[in-house]
Amino acid sequence: MNIAKLLEQRRLQWTELERLCGELEVRGRTQQRSAAAVSRFATLYRSACADLALATAYQLPPATVAYLHRLVGRAHNQLYRSGTSTFASWVDIVIRQAPQRIFSDPCVRVAALLFFGLFTLSMLFAWNETLFPQFAETVLGAEHMTMMESSFEEPLDASMDHYLMMSGFYIQHNTGIGLQCFAFGILLIPCLVTLSYNAVVLGASFGYMARDSVAAGDNFFQFVTAHGPFELTAIALSAGAGLRMGLGLFATGGLRRVDSLRLSALKAVPIMAAAVVMFFLAAFTEGFISPSPLPYVVKAAWAILSSGLLMFYFVVLGFPRRGDDAA
Amino acid sequence: MVVERTMIAVLFAPVPTKRRMAVSAPLDTTIEVVTPENIAFDYQLAGPFRRLPAYLIDVAIRLVTFLAIIFLVMMSGMLAGGLFGSGLLPALGAAVLLILYFLQAWFYGVFFEAYFNGRTPGKWICGLRVISDDGHPITGMQALIRNLLRAIDLMPATTLAALDPEDSFFAMLPLMTGMVGLVTMLSTRRLQRLGDLAAGTMVVMDERNWTLPVARVDDLRVPALSSFVPADYRATPTMAKALANYAERRLYLSPPRRREIARHLAVPLLDRFEFRRDVDPDLLLYAIYYRTFLADGVAEAPQLGSLSGFSPLAKDAQFQDATAAHTTAAAATQPSATHTAATQPSADHATALSPEDRS
Repeated sequence: MNIAKLLEQRRLQWTELERLCGELEVRGRTQQRSAAAVSRFATLYRSACADLALATAYQLPPATVAYLHRLVGRAHNQLYRSGTSTFASWVDIVIRQAPQRIFSDPCVRVAALLFFGLFTLSMLFAWNETLFPQFAETVLGAEHMTMMESSFEEPLDASMDHYLMMSGFYIQHNTGIGLQCFAFGILLIPCLVTLSYNAVVLGASFGYMARDSVAAGDNFFQFVTAHGPFELTAIALSAGAGLRMGLGLFATGGLRRVDSLRLSALKAVPIMAAAVVMFFLAAFTEGFISPSPLPYVVKAAWAILSSGLLMFYFVVLGFPRRGDDAA
Repeated sequence: MVVERTMIAVLFAPVPTKRRMAVSAPLDTTIEVVTPENIAFDYQLAGPFRRLPAYLIDVAIRLVTFLAIIFLVMMSGMLAGGLFGSGLLPALGAAVLLILYFLQAWFYGVFFEAYFNGRTPGKWICGLRVISDDGHPITGMQALIRNLLRAIDLMPATTLAALDPEDSFFAMLPLMTGMVGLVTMLSTRRLQRLGDLAAGTMVVMDERNWTLPVARVDDLRVPALSSFVPADYRATPTMAKALANYAERRLYLSPPRRREIARHLAVPLLDRFEFRRDVDPDLLLYAIYYRTFLADGVAEAPQLGSLSGFSPLAKDAQFQDATAAHTTAAAATQPSATHTAATQPSADHATALSPEDRS
């Protein structure tokens, strides 16, 4: 058998396949290519696959086999391309899948219970000056307390440019914390620590500002009322998504550990997507409505409206339906 | 047969056992992927030290583009501010910058890996690609999961304040150690970090070196010698593999080392073919390689003229040259190092060949 002749015959096809691969890699998509070229590419790919399969029968030299491995891998990557998710699929995830998961997922309940429980406890401790005189100062630090007080001494009144910039800041900062909490969830404990830290610090701030002795309290609650529902729920949700993912490492449900982790990550993403949407809504509220000198009634109305929206989202959209695989 | 196998073991495996040679366990950094065409091909996995440069390049690209955007926003803000005299535009610019920073920090990798077939610019420069661990390209969802989880893989964070407590600027910069990701990578079969595990992806080498390696025979004595190998000799599959390995690697060996390695296989063959004992072992293996892979095997006539690629005239001249070189001992005039190295044993052989060839 003459390998050299065989290689010469095949080589023409291989170089043609390489050329097509190169074009596909540079241009990315096949829009500019004719259908004939695409089908030619598929034909060449299959024949290269056949060559690789017969490589041992042909007793091809190892270097040629290595070359064929790379060629087939390269063509394989061009033929089977990554499926890009469309905007419509994300709308479906947020509107249909996420509420179903949130409604049925015990991890979300645990995270919500932990967050709002610690938040309430911490608020009560910080508020009650007689029983826990040192709590607020220990948690927040004296420096932070005076800073918080001084920043809410003035009545709320900001200009349009301040609103814009703060919205941007809240999107960047708060959503970042939420996503980080989600990512930490894969190891469970960092997520729980982040969640508890936020709950305790926020609760202590609320409790401290609610004291009668603190003059800036009124302005503070004027500020936080409007965006509170969205933001606090979003933090709890992102932690819930993280816990769902991390739990897959331990509660495998009969799957291999890696497969279970992968499956639970897929389950967690819709919850996190809903949390990101809430963070964005909270950021715009916090940027535009909260610091504005609007009457408190308007802000409270917005808070009630947003709570109602959340209830509708969780309960009406999330109620388990027959024949729905999301639950 | 048995002789050959044992010899191959001596030649290529550090431990000379047949079992070692027979089972060629793949390297632990390659992963086999079965395509829908039911073909298995290998990918080479990329470890932490290949992926770190790619990540650093991505960070640098993010930084540079962000600085460029800041510059553009400031320029346009100055121009627009000069025109309208409003305080609104700088604030809008700042908001846009903050949102861009957020998107870049979390979704840079998601975007590129989803839309450019598993490659960010840094990975493209370093020749890496993210694929799903069943060999398919990654989906948008996988790209999302693995990039969001980078936050935990880069943990624990520290600051440079430990090094320089006085400097407040460095103390503020967070320093990601990446220990979580490193430990996970080193302890998983496919060198996956936590994000890869959760998304079901792996990072592989995306080779871009596409030259087909064919060991070409440019030594004219090789076909000559191969025509004297008995026609009924067939290289076994293991022998053929050993020969191909040898022919590919002999270029990286010094001539004495080649002879030393080739002797183990060549000496029994010399006896079997009834050749002279002073034939160069390296040349003999090369000739069998040539015969197995390159020459026309069965159809080959004993005449050298039937070999493709060169004419009898050039061959005769070559042999005359070789003879002359041998007689004058002017090894330095030989055209290639291979010739020089193998002159001593094979020139005798060539001299013996030449009358027959002229006839």
